Amino acid sequence: MVKLSDNAQKSLDEYLHQARTYLRSAKSVDAGEVEQNITEHIENELEGAAEPVSADELETVLKKLGSPQQWVPEEELPWWRKFILRLRTGPEDWRLAYLSFGLLVVGFMLSRLSLPLLTLASFVVSRAALSANNYRIEVKAQKWLIYPSLIIVYLVLLCSFLGLPLLGLIPLAYDWEHIIRASYKIGDDTPYWLAACSVFVASIGLWWLIQGVVFLARPNIPKVLFRPFADGFNRRWALVLLCVGFALLVFSLASLYWAYSRYFQPI
Amino acid sequence: MENQFLDNWATQLRKGMLELCILNAIKGTSLYGYDIVRKLRKLNALVISEGTIYPILSRLKREGFVQTTIRESTEGPPRKYYELTQKGEQTLSRMNDYWRDVKTGADALKGE
Repeated sequence: MVKLSDNAQKSLDEYLHQARTYLRSAKSVDAGEVEQNITEHIENELEGAAEPVSADELETVLKKLGSPQQWVPEEELPWWRKFILRLRTGPEDWRLAYLSFGLLVVGFMLSRLSLPLLTLASFVVSRAALSANNYRIEVKAQKWLIYPSLIIVYLVLLCSFLGLPLLGLIPLAYDWEHIIRASYKIGDDTPYWLAACSVFVASIGLWWLIQGVVFLARPNIPKVLFRPFADGFNRRWALVLLCVGFALLVFSLASLYWAYSRYFQPI
Repeated sequence: MENQFLDNWATQLRKGMLELCILNAIKGTSLYGYDIVRKLRKLNALVISEGTIYPILSRLKREGFVQTTIRESTEGPPRKYYELTQKGEQTLSRMNDYWRDVKTGADALKGE
């Protein structure tokens, strides 16, 4: 056998382990024979390569060889895997789309407890349907069945994403006034609301600024999270978020400073 | 959607064609697994992942279309060589005839 580097050996062991796992359920296939085919193929492919063979070189060979799952004949796959295979390679399939919409409708018809659970289930099925369509936006008529649960979950996710600091700050705001009044000598005419709003806006601004920086470095995060609606997201949008965040932060900190210097005097 | 349709169509077509090509590759000769892969590698559109060829060879053997012989190799462990059985040769001949009819018919339609 050709000498492999430690990482390459690990990759090969993992590939063989996965193939053996898949083959456990296949009665007509000799796992030993498959393993021999794999090692023989790799050995032939890597003949003449500089030793020890690197993990990258082996990965190229394994990629050409295909997934470990393919060593199981299609007729011996378990029913659920055949089902997924048919979904992926069969003719236009609407089952996932109908299932998604059905779960959402049942969720609305049943109790309040079932609504979030079934909406989440419908969301997962919708994402699976999108995945089966290779994440193409043009799922045509299927979108009427797939999109409702996606939109509901994405809206909740988007609100939480953009307003995360508010979730933590709003409950605290009720206590702040007592704390501030105990620490500072302020009159009744003091615009407490201005200070509170400035803190909220500054938090939001800082949060958007951080998000802008993260999305600028990794523009794929929103694309993956909000697929397929954020497919057009790019660094320009991240820059807009960053600039808006920065402007909010500067503006709110300036008004906070103004309110502090004008109305607040330590006791 | 059009791409998906094309992908599905190509997958269905590949399934049947790969068996025909494997049988044709070993017709009149005996080859070991990797040699067959190398021969079929030229058909880029047909062989998406090379590992799909070995399970097909095993199935053809189980169904009696090919037989194997183990031969010593100077380059490593003994190798398993595949060759057509009589049943395989007869079936391949009928498969080639069938494919020729399909191709002629399809070409004729294309030319109409």
